Amino acid sequence: MLQLLLIAVRNLAQHRRRTLLLGGAIAGVTALLVMLQGMTTGIRSTLLESATTLSSGHVNVGGFFKVTAGQGAPVVTEFPKLVEIIRKEVPELDFVTERGRGWAKLIADDGSSVQLGLAGVDITRESGLKKTLKVTQGNLDDLAKPGSVLLFEKQATKLNVKVGDALTISAPAARGANNTVDVTVVAVARDIGFMSGFNCFLNGDSLRQLYQLKEDATGALHIYLKDIESTKVVQERLRKRLVELGYPVMDADPRAFWFKFEVVNREEWTGQKLDITNWEDEVSFVNWIITALDGLTYVLIFVLLIIIAVGVMNTLWIAIRERTREIGTLRAIGMQRRRVLLMFLVEALVLGLASTGVGAVISALLAMGLNAAQIPVVEAAQLITMSDTLSVRVTGGSILGAVVFVTTCTTLISLIPSFLAARMKPVTAMHHIG
Amino acid sequence: MDPIVSIRNVTKDYTLGKTVVSALRGVNLEVHKGDFISIAGPSGSGKTTLLNLIGCVDTATGGLVQVVGQSTGQLTERQLTDLRLHAIGFIFQSFNLVSVLSVFQNVEFPLLLQRKWTAAERRKRVDELLTQVGLQSHAKHRPNELSGGQRQRVAIARALVTQPQLVLADEPTANLDSVTGQNIIDLMKDLNKQQGTTFIFSTHDPKVMSHANAVVRIEDGQIKDRISAAEATLAVAAGH
Ligand SMILES: Nc1ncnc2c1ncn2[C@@H]1O[C@H](COP(=O)(O)OP(=O)(O)OP(=O)(O)O)[C@@H](O)[C@H]1O
Ligand SMILES: [Mg+2]
Repeated sequence: MLQLLLIAVRNLAQHRRRTLLLGGAIAGVTALLVMLQGMTTGIRSTLLESATTLSSGHVNVGGFFKVTAGQGAPVVTEFPKLVEIIRKEVPELDFVTERGRGWAKLIADDGSSVQLGLAGVDITRESGLKKTLKVTQGNLDDLAKPGSVLLFEKQATKLNVKVGDALTISAPAARGANNTVDVTVVAVARDIGFMSGFNCFLNGDSLRQLYQLKEDATGALHIYLKDIESTKVVQERLRKRLVELGYPVMDADPRAFWFKFEVVNREEWTGQKLDITNWEDEVSFVNWIITALDGLTYVLIFVLLIIIAVGVMNTLWIAIRERTREIGTLRAIGMQRRRVLLMFLVEALVLGLASTGVGAVISALLAMGLNAAQIPVVEAAQLITMSDTLSVRVTGGSILGAVVFVTTCTTLISLIPSFLAARMKPVTAMHHIG
Repeated sequence: MDPIVSIRNVTKDYTLGKTVVSALRGVNLEVHKGDFISIAGPSGSGKTTLLNLIGCVDTATGGLVQVVGQSTGQLTERQLTDLRLHAIGFIFQSFNLVSVLSVFQNVEFPLLLQRKWTAAERRKRVDELLTQVGLQSHAKHRPNELSGGQRQRVAIARALVTQPQLVLADEPTANLDSVTGQNIIDLMKDLNKQQGTTFIFSTHDPKVMSHANAVVRIEDGQIKDRISAAEATLAVAAGH
């Protein structure tokens, strides 16, 4: 009934101060909600992109090679053949790269050293790295030269080296000996959260040299898909296909590869086995962070909703108290209880929709402004944001979601006082003073 | 002819904590179609209580209340509301208009609640009523832009717009000056004569009583007598 809408709108207009106050709060909460979501979505996607680019790909074909049963090395042999199979079997493919895997000590001329994971790369094929790594010194393309290494800023500081300086990389080899290779720092990249803490990038051939691997051996193949959503499907298909093609494939084990040495070394087999995992296995911390972020978001949303709930309840109480006589009158002249309930619900709905609408516009503008302003993120927070500027990803969908969600909550909350208003006996309501 | 209101041995108690106030103690009353009846009595005698029972906004503690042939004690809240909507019109002492709606919208409201009228029918009916109460030129005004007498006329139009069989008015003139009050009663009387609508109203005012077909005098929760308007005026003049 249109008249209920009219009554609602006019009552809201009549109590302008109250309406503005509560409406402002609802708009604020909506805007906050959208921003919060926009930030977590932003963090989530940069986090995912960085993590998968730096250390796993979407689907990861790794494995172990054992010369003797107790000596597993994270090596995949004859990888060019595998790349060919992947190209054929995965139409969802964006690109595939190979990464050497290692763990070694980097020693500077002045004697300072760090233990680091090594990623051996063929930089000509690493289109993702070029986007993710922000090189502050030197040139990423120089990683194509043999004996080249890229460090992150913290690592460079710790080793007290800069571009052009020499390093020795020393890795434990069979029978307690150490292999070494001499390299030159060709680039220094900005830190990317904590992910940059435990890895550096080494020319792929230098890594092979360090571990005395053949030309066609690498650590793992990183498969990047056009859409990360198809990860599981592709992973399953590849596993099946590779088994069919006669490759020995390890049982599915959703852990990062460095957890698997112990199990692999205890097993009897020798030679090559492949391990097909996905980014969730290899960089599971990404999921922890996302879960933590989601948890935090939910807690904040909950607190915000409580604020709204108290505000809406309180305001509606007052409104209903003031209009008790009117309710009584309307009930007396024949308005059913359900209608009274509806009358107040409509009022809450109108207030909710209008306020959340305003909140949506504010948040959209705010997001545009923040993104344009390139606000730097404090260093501690970069651990999580994985990005040095604040990025808020606000989509039409997330705005609509917030509008619908907050409006629904507002209306649901108003059910309680509305219900009590509708339940009043007409006489009692009419004789109400005030 | 069946009475439009029939009340038999009705009692109404209000419980206030541990004390029980007997507002009505065995009331019997019959009102017939076309009656224009005044309920008179001192303050606290039970006039409002009686009208509330007839108006189906409250239920009796004991006895039988029949309104337009229905025993109200046996009806559900929904049915009572429907009965009020279709058979009864209310005029209140303090007008009780919806302040955010215009005069027109206030009068139209019961028609909207009935959900059986087209917009054109509603407009025609409301215009008729506003003309009858002399407010057609104020249709777009809000209640707070009107005088007390004008507001009460809007309330009368609202009460009559559904063509109820019975109109109840609890001290409809108490908040108006005597001339305006007089006009309001005249208006009610006209409508009673023209359309045969039954009116029951309560009042303290002898001048107002004097228009009634009959005055029901109530005292201490009981009907004292039912007398003519002339008798009532005399009785008030004599001081009892
Ligand atoms: N809601 C209530 N709770 C308790 N007692 C009530 C209530 N309403 C009325 N009463 C009592 O019932 C009795 C009758 O009251 P009622 O309002 O019917 O009198 P009245 O004749 O309308 O009086 P007035 O002329 O002052 O309007 C009074 O004693 C009053 O105190
Ligand atoms: Mg009274």
